[in-house]
Amino acid sequence: MADPILKIRDLSTSFFTEEGKVNAVDSVTFDVEDGEIFGIVGESGSGKSVTALSVIDLIDSPGRVTGGEVWYRNADLAEEFRGSRPEAVDGDFVDVRRLPKGVRRSLRGPSFSMIFQDAMSSFNPSITVGEQIAEAVEVQRRARANPRRTRSRTQGYGLGSAILDTFLPNRDYVSNESMDRAVELLDQVGIPDPEDRAEEYPHQFSGGMLQRAMIAQALAGEPDILVADEPTTALDVTIQAQILNLLRDLQEQEGMSILMITHNLGVIARMCDRVGVMYAGEIVERGPLGDIFENPVHPYTQGLLGSVPDIDDPSDRLEPITGNVPSLLESEMPDACYFADRCPKAMTDCMTRIPEYDLDGRHSVRCVLAEREYDEADALEQEVMADD
Amino acid sequence: MTDPLLSVRDLQKYYYEQDTFVDTLLGRERQSVKAVDGISFDIEPGETLGLVGESGCGKSTTGETLLRLREATGGAVEFDGENVFEMGSDELKAFRKDAQIVFQDPFSSLDPRMTIGDIIAEPLRIHDMPTDPGDKSKREWRRDKASELLERVGLSATQLDRYPHEFSGGQRQRIGVARALALEPEFIVLDEPVSALDVSVQAQVLNLLDDLQTELGLTYLFIAHDLSVVRHICDRVAVMYLGNIVELGPTDELFESPKHPYTEALLESVPRPSTREQGRRVDALSGDVPSPRNPPSGCRFRTRCPKVIPPDDLDIDQEAYRAVMDLRDALVVGDVNPDHIWETADPERVDEEAFIEEARARHVDAELRGDVASVVDTALGHLVDGDVEQTQTVLRETFESPCETRRPGVGDTTHPAACHLYEGSDEVEVIETTADAPVSADD
Repeated sequence: MADPILKIRDLSTSFFTEEGKVNAVDSVTFDVEDGEIFGIVGESGSGKSVTALSVIDLIDSPGRVTGGEVWYRNADLAEEFRGSRPEAVDGDFVDVRRLPKGVRRSLRGPSFSMIFQDAMSSFNPSITVGEQIAEAVEVQRRARANPRRTRSRTQGYGLGSAILDTFLPNRDYVSNESMDRAVELLDQVGIPDPEDRAEEYPHQFSGGMLQRAMIAQALAGEPDILVADEPTTALDVTIQAQILNLLRDLQEQEGMSILMITHNLGVIARMCDRVGVMYAGEIVERGPLGDIFENPVHPYTQGLLGSVPDIDDPSDRLEPITGNVPSLLESEMPDACYFADRCPKAMTDCMTRIPEYDLDGRHSVRCVLAEREYDEADALEQEVMADD
Repeated sequence: MTDPLLSVRDLQKYYYEQDTFVDTLLGRERQSVKAVDGISFDIEPGETLGLVGESGCGKSTTGETLLRLREATGGAVEFDGENVFEMGSDELKAFRKDAQIVFQDPFSSLDPRMTIGDIIAEPLRIHDMPTDPGDKSKREWRRDKASELLERVGLSATQLDRYPHEFSGGQRQRIGVARALALEPEFIVLDEPVSALDVSVQAQVLNLLDDLQTELGLTYLFIAHDLSVVRHICDRVAVMYLGNIVELGPTDELFESPKHPYTEALLESVPRPSTREQGRRVDALSGDVPSPRNPPSGCRFRTRCPKVIPPDDLDIDQEAYRAVMDLRDALVVGDVNPDHIWETADPERVDEEAFIEEARARHVDAELRGDVASVVDTALGHLVDGDVEQTQTVLRETFESPCETRRPGVGDTTHPAACHLYEGSDEVEVIETTADAPVSADD
């Protein structure tokens, strides 16, 4: 098999809040293959969005990526840093986290790009959609023309630019070529009459159209990896179907890889080749779509699949997971499997931290059931939860 | 069949814009937004009727209007044989005891400054219940009732004095359900009760609602956009699109053999959590839902319908016809700009053939042949001088569909669908659009 484009190893992210340290992402490991769609699925608060933000290096205070490696395959970068930072290079891979800050920033756009859930709040309401996309194009154009400068300094931000912007109208930043390219991108994502729509403001777009525009913006840098964080969650099903078709078409045309974050198991099933299931900041199970959906090992994965009503076969009763999603405050996290208190198959073995077990080289799971059968004699006494 | 518990006839809710005194002085005509535009259905005692549709189709407005939380602009709702819209204040108060609502957002529908016990007991206090508290004070009686209800929905009575922020989303939704049950209603409108919840918690709440119905003999109107949930919990389902009910039928029948092209598309679009779904490509409906300010004439769905009906005398396949209809819609909404076409085709603005070719490449999404192609080219020829109106006229003369001149009505069978495809089978009554035009000036 070809090398993956992205190898995430033991990535951890914490938020340092007034109540204490919150471990939002806890030793997450996965690969994204070249040209595949890798899905991360989980409920709210499971850490899936923070994982995406950590990969693309967008974690902001009070959060911080506290450990782990993000290996990105890029022969040019590897060559460039082999001498100066040998610890950040491994074959064709570079560990993005150990590169200088300016270089990391310059990767956003041509290497990594992101689309967010809420398109309406991701655009600036006072600048036309076309100009905002053209800005993304312009940044890449300037970065290409003068990579050194843009790597060591920010483009269009900072105090100097802020002062300049005050005196010069913002539009001057965007050249006509970039504007033309923005119109092309809008056309590519299926927006009718792109020349006119480019002149419109975000509030004049419908939700689906704005989501398309955001995808156009993400494509501006021709990224290797597109991170899509709940790209269809705010949309109706018929529009969702349009956007999913569009993402698949673009992925095939551009040959990029997609890291898809969603809570919707149906979207995962339609789009993804491989999938990771997150719970309480960990990937509890990971593998090819078929393995996860047909032979889930982790009781949480089983519970998640059992909770979704089947539209084609309404069985009589759903089998939900009891209880609620746990708090991720470090002080409240047990020194045990995080799922143990909701798990129908919890055993005494579960009272230690569970390592990741590899089942067959593709399918891995963080659960003792990978190694042994459930035995009622060892069953953990569950506290009766107030909720159920 | 028994008498329906709730019977809705031609329910209509319009909102008006530019309707202030100043607007009248300035001579502006008021604009109507047709949120709910003449819908009818019955709900039998003990059943769950699902109301599904995409955002903005009017499903929540329907739920609120029929409880008279919003004043309807037309139609009638009968509850237990009495017209809800004609009730006096005493009767209305009695009605509100029998009919309750659970809202979508468990965060904003509970007062953050009241304890859970007070929230659940509030309806009892408003209705001055109980009439006979026995040897307890009314206050004590209500408190006991609240703890009973709290346990009934799966929470602990010891949590009675806590505040809403101490609970998770799923628990708050249970509290909302407990409040709705306090007055022992017969009928509950569930307005997207599980949309804000995660799947594992959603399943818990769905099971709870199911149990309560069986135990207490409740009747539900279940409003939702998630079709899998609707399939799971409803006995019958009504599908709404842009203020109209397009199809109504028993759940299994509607999901297994949908009639209306919109229902078909909706069901087709839902991603299934199964390996069979992998790589499935859905023929997604094109475009967006039109604005309810200016809905399409005739059938509301015709601008996106993959089965729009061509005129009898026209020999055209569906793909080509859909493409022509899309061109016509694009002309109506102003998505066709002759200047841009000229820029690409010939900036000198002389080569008309290149112009027509470019216009076709941009706006006609199918291969056209014969007469159809020549009519479309003639029409596009009028765009050369920027005469959009003439283009529209030429296209309308040849391509006008019965779907745009007449509005299909919902018939009176057990599984009606408001679509011209089902005409002639006695299932669909046809309402002439002109005769049916409401008293507003905007269309």
